[in-house]
Amino acid sequence: QKNGVSNGTLYKKTFIEHFEQAPMYVAVFTFVGFAVGTIFGYLRDFMRAWGLEKRNIATEREQQKDFVPLYQDFENFYTRNLYLRIRDNWNRPICSVPGPQFDLMERVTDDYNWTFRFTGRTIKNVINMGSYNYLGFAETDVNALKTVTIELEKYGTGVCSTRQEMGTLDKHVELEKLVAKFLGVEDAMVFGMGFATNSMNIPALVGKGCLILSDELNHTSLVLGARLSGATIRIFKHNNMQSLEKLLRDAIIYGQPRTHRAWKKIIILVEGIYSMEGSIVRLPEIVSLKNKYKAYLYLDEAHSIGAVGATGRGVVEYFGMSPDDVDVLMGTFTKSFGAAGGYIAGRKDLVDFLRTHSHSAVYATSMCPAVAEQIIRAMKCLMGLDGTTQGLQRVRQLEKNTRYFRRKLHEMGFIIYGNDDSPVVPLLLYMPGKIGAFARRMLEKNIGVVVVGFPATPITESRARFCVSAAHTREMLDTVLNALDELGDFLHLKYSRYSKSSHPELYEESRLELED
Amino acid sequence: FFQAPAYHLILEGILILWIIRLLFSKTYKLQERSDLTLKEKEELIEEWQPEPLVPPVPKDHPALNYNIVSGPPTHIITVNGKECINFASFNFLGLLNNEKVKSAAQASLKKYGVGTCGPRGFYGTFDVHLELEERLAKFMRTEEAIIYSYGFATIASAIPAYSKRGDIVFVDEAACFAIQKGLQASRSNIKLFKHNDMADLERLLKEQETEDQKNPRKARVTRRFIVVEGLYMNTGDICPLPELIKLKYKYKVRIFLEESLSFGVLGEHGRGITEHFGINIDDIDLISANMENSLASIGGFCCGRSFIIDHQRLSGQGYCFSASLPPLLAAAAIEALNIMEDNPDIFQTLRAKCERMHKALQGISGLKVVGESFSPALHLQLEESCGSRENDVKLLKRVVDYCMNSGIALTQARYLEKEEKCLPPPSVRVVITVEQTEQELDKAASLLKEAAQSVLN
Repeated sequence: QKNGVSNGTLYKKTFIEHFEQAPMYVAVFTFVGFAVGTIFGYLRDFMRAWGLEKRNIATEREQQKDFVPLYQDFENFYTRNLYLRIRDNWNRPICSVPGPQFDLMERVTDDYNWTFRFTGRTIKNVINMGSYNYLGFAETDVNALKTVTIELEKYGTGVCSTRQEMGTLDKHVELEKLVAKFLGVEDAMVFGMGFATNSMNIPALVGKGCLILSDELNHTSLVLGARLSGATIRIFKHNNMQSLEKLLRDAIIYGQPRTHRAWKKIIILVEGIYSMEGSIVRLPEIVSLKNKYKAYLYLDEAHSIGAVGATGRGVVEYFGMSPDDVDVLMGTFTKSFGAAGGYIAGRKDLVDFLRTHSHSAVYATSMCPAVAEQIIRAMKCLMGLDGTTQGLQRVRQLEKNTRYFRRKLHEMGFIIYGNDDSPVVPLLLYMPGKIGAFARRMLEKNIGVVVVGFPATPITESRARFCVSAAHTREMLDTVLNALDELGDFLHLKYSRYSKSSHPELYEESRLELED
Repeated sequence: FFQAPAYHLILEGILILWIIRLLFSKTYKLQERSDLTLKEKEELIEEWQPEPLVPPVPKDHPALNYNIVSGPPTHIITVNGKECINFASFNFLGLLNNEKVKSAAQASLKKYGVGTCGPRGFYGTFDVHLELEERLAKFMRTEEAIIYSYGFATIASAIPAYSKRGDIVFVDEAACFAIQKGLQASRSNIKLFKHNDMADLERLLKEQETEDQKNPRKARVTRRFIVVEGLYMNTGDICPLPELIKLKYKYKVRIFLEESLSFGVLGEHGRGITEHFGINIDDIDLISANMENSLASIGGFCCGRSFIIDHQRLSGQGYCFSASLPPLLAAAAIEALNIMEDNPDIFQTLRAKCERMHKALQGISGLKVVGESFSPALHLQLEESCGSRENDVKLLKRVVDYCMNSGIALTQARYLEKEEKCLPPPSVRVVITVEQTEQELDKAASLLKEAAQSVLN
């Protein structure tokens, strides 16, 4: 079913998200597929236990055989018997810049994926639909990297100290000012790793006696940060505002469980774009809820900063809202800026508090200065401070590519999840056998895709996830679309019951394409 | 119907009347929760006031104003505009400014750009990562190594990958914060033993053994671990590894060793505390270290047997769900490893300098040296505290400022006071690197003596 809610007062443009359900027979066959895999798994385990088949896995040392076993057998059942069969589709090593095209190292297996061997050849110019390179800043152009080269020569690679001790370089101060200016907030703080930004700062902001309302599909780093904080966690259904409102009301009315004391604070954890679904958070509704119930909002813009919004400022700009509406703006530099690290931005008192109380500031090394320079130059390019309009052009190109790609996939009849404007495009495969087949055949056609199955997704909803980039040309996208068309027919992946011909009014042309 | 005996009819009648009574009686909930009216609910929502998101930070908070370093934090460092000799960055082998390391990073930058744009599972694995893992495994003489993109996340992701709810971990009191966070994420039972006190550890292990005998079925599935550091960051001393190995085989516990400070420092070739004591590296189940100290790069690695390390490739959270290490940093680490392998005498030089500094710092009135004589990261603590931690911190700040004004860059060791399990006393951190000359070491020691004299007396 389509989830097209257009709440006229809050949303300035139509908000269309698709989460179409597949026909029933698909779910049945998926379960059958997993059942067959499981039965064969048990059979193989039995054969291995009785020595009928060679054991290929590493084993415990002789001297430690009487120790308590490190792994329970059934914990690894899925890994050993189901994941292992299609393991060659993950961890594929590359040997070039992760731009719109890259070179893969050719990898073969002689023993059905237990071990891999490199043949020494490289598969050149594989179209990259898997890397998070939304604005195309992962590039090796000498001019573009000029400042990065200079700073690398000047500063070296390491910092060897923490922010609070001797690790704050002038580069970090420059970067933080720029990030604050980019987002339109008072102050910002940067950290060396995006994952660690969440897991080390959420515990600093909330503690025991506070309540965290977290979306169902939040990233592991948010879940880990919430767990480490010691606060109570309650989960609301993905992007479902009724569920969130009910939780908020119950929390304030009934207080903490058993003692009924009032909660100290309530914080809502959401992401800008969810990386497995491609859905965009319903920010206007959440902000109005948060204002009504006096909760705080923590927005993780890992995938959405740089990728949505008219000038790449993220979901806040996409919905036409002000950055003051969100209490804690968090994001990472890995995806749209082609670097590494994360930031938290907001009001000055928030950032001052993090400078003194964040776990990362006290115990973790600060960001490498060359990486900081890459972020600075990418951000300046986006803001137009380098004197060109290249930044805006990249954002526009990404928007065009996203709309084109999604529209074409819809027309072909695939089931695609997520918002029409999100550059993350999950294409549903459902059946476990098709995961391996899809990824391998796409590689044969020289296209690198990412496939995801259980446990990252629900067991019946395995998918292939495409990340559209501003650096993809129309020809590359057409090549991919043609390959998908062929493969879709061959593997029977075109499950969608709605295609363009039956609902033309829902496919309004983007006004940007008309300006072309 | 009428042939049934009388008592039967009476019994049935009573039962039917009882059922009718139950059907019409009021139901009781276990918890008396009176339902609030809508108006009351709205009032409660109106009245509730949360705390502010963050408490206000006083302007004179000791950690609020950072020291800003202009330019690279190398041997001569410009802190807050003043040029000083660097005694505060953990650049033990002086590789931060090394030309070969920088040119390797530049070559990698030209080829790969800066970021990897993806986690290891989704086209974020570069050939440099694989090469670095191989080199680290070969250097440490283990089967396999795994790289993380951040030093803190290394041990904090490694521990929860193996130790789950219900398992038991014996950890030293002075363990660093990253280990504490890893243990918290693992939800296991934590048992702290006194710092470097093997008798205390043995006592805890014996207690656990008696517990096991009461419940052997549970004991057969409860994993046990000892987590120690090679060279402790908080106290500057080393763990007694040979005794730990004995305890390991006696009580069947696995050892996880955190070697962030001792990698590239201890041992004849810099392989860490196992080489220092001459222990077979397979006896240690997992060695974790970060590359941010001796290797002057960013990131961390774990090494050990494939049986153990391979598990982290699917269950190490900081590995699977985070973008991989930028290739220029991995290339820098490989080059740094090359330098370490080609010049094994730098470790001897470093040790000599540490011994010299340790000796020179003895006898400062008011300050005592905490740390082994060969440890490159020492602490200077106040001999007697002046009452409160706040005042101690202020006093040490004056010592540090005195030294900074005279050209020696030092820093206080920073901790999160409310979060640490066993908070170490306030101290000044003194770091000895291979680049410091003997005159500079003597100058620093005499300056510290002066500072202590003027501030503490």
